[in-house]
Amino acid sequence: MKTRGWLLLFTAVAALCLLFYVFAPKTGGSVVGIYQDGALVRTIDLAAVGESYELVLERNGSTNTILVEKNAIRVVAADCPDQVCVEHGELRDGASPIVCLPNRVVIKYLRDTDGVDAKAGSAG
Amino acid sequence: MRKQAAAFILALLLLPPLAGCAPAQAQEELFAMDTVMSLTAYGAAGETGLEAAKAEIRRLDSLLSVSGGASEIRRVNEAGGGTVSEETAALLERAAAISRACGGAFDVTVGPVVDVWGFYGDEQRVPSADELAAALALVGPDKLTLAGTEVRFAAAGVRLDLGGVAKGYAAGRAAEALKAAGVASAIMTLGGNVRTVGLKPDGSRWKVGIADPAAPQAMAGVLTTGENAVVTSGGYQRYFDEDGVRYHHIIDPATGYPAASGILSATVVTADDVLADALSTALFVLGEEQAGALWRSMGGFEMILIAEGGRIIVTGGLADDFSPADGYTVEVLS
Repeated sequence: MKTRGWLLLFTAVAALCLLFYVFAPKTGGSVVGIYQDGALVRTIDLAAVGESYELVLERNGSTNTILVEKNAIRVVAADCPDQVCVEHGELRDGASPIVCLPNRVVIKYLRDTDGVDAKAGSAG
Repeated sequence: MRKQAAAFILALLLLPPLAGCAPAQAQEELFAMDTVMSLTAYGAAGETGLEAAKAEIRRLDSLLSVSGGASEIRRVNEAGGGTVSEETAALLERAAAISRACGGAFDVTVGPVVDVWGFYGDEQRVPSADELAAALALVGPDKLTLAGTEVRFAAAGVRLDLGGVAKGYAAGRAAEALKAAGVASAIMTLGGNVRTVGLKPDGSRWKVGIADPAAPQAMAGVLTTGENAVVTSGGYQRYFDEDGVRYHHIIDPATGYPAASGILSATVVTADDVLADALSTALFVLGEEQAGALWRSMGGFEMILIAEGGRIIVTGGLADDFSPADGYTVEVLS
């Protein structure tokens, strides 16, 4: 009885751990944050995106149109003069956010995906 | 009794996954100094620390920018000189000292030349020889005199631009603000300038990627570092093409043209924020040989130069801390 009780307990704990491991939210890698004027306005798990869709961010009459696809995100149109955010293309790594300075938009992974904490020398 | 023991063991077993949770982390994105900044602070004091750091950055942005209404720099530029705060005077003095140390390769008076190339606005173009000569006549260490807090210009039209040191200075002050608030671990990116505070929450050193000049989205290598400023200047950061020629934004104060030293990017690693910011520009202008000579004679910093042909030159102090990406070879300078 005593041994059985312990066995049961350990099995239960092991099962719990396994459940936690399998179902815990995986924030590393696929979750991006969209910031507008420094505020986090949207978080999207790119791995969980089904049908692709477009998001339009507006600020003081200026807009950025963001295309959200499974495992990909990019700015497809912006009415800012420099078009840096559009030319950036897809968001590729955790240390190089998509930035639109005129409209104050930043799109970045919430956790870095390639093992660095920051990146020196990115334009922007 | 048995139940208590079971509960105790259960609690013990639950500890590891809980301890594995990420430490408290506060994060801010802000727009200042014509760029985007990302600040991350760890620990319980993170939020208050970031508020203090943000306030300090905003204060310095309005004090030091070339365009802001409250800017002292704008005021002396428009008035052709005048008195500034002790803080601004000290920063100008420091910038002038670094300028002398690197033979003028970095110069806070380079503004008129940057202006004729159009790098202050959105319309860049190659200036005419006359325009360039007129602008160059207003550039040089002898064009600026500091007497205490008084700024004097040698000619009408001389202009100050602290763009080469303001972000560095702000990073250092923000780091101080974070520490004063009780933050022991933080990392900031101020428009491509990286500044760390302490070590990572787990006690290990930070990993800072260095942008690949050939493909700035990618990295040319990764630097492992403790508490330091890591600042990179590269021609790839801002440029325009005209008649098939690429012109980048880092102007050699000696020629008035974009620096053509054979270096694609220069990264400076040091705990001295202002030095890191100013020297990254200077080393890019100086090129491999003169940068190496400056490193030997001046000391107080380490550097990573990315040259053409996939060559990366690192100074001795970083030899064990830098790992290049595929396609790059590292030469160690001693």
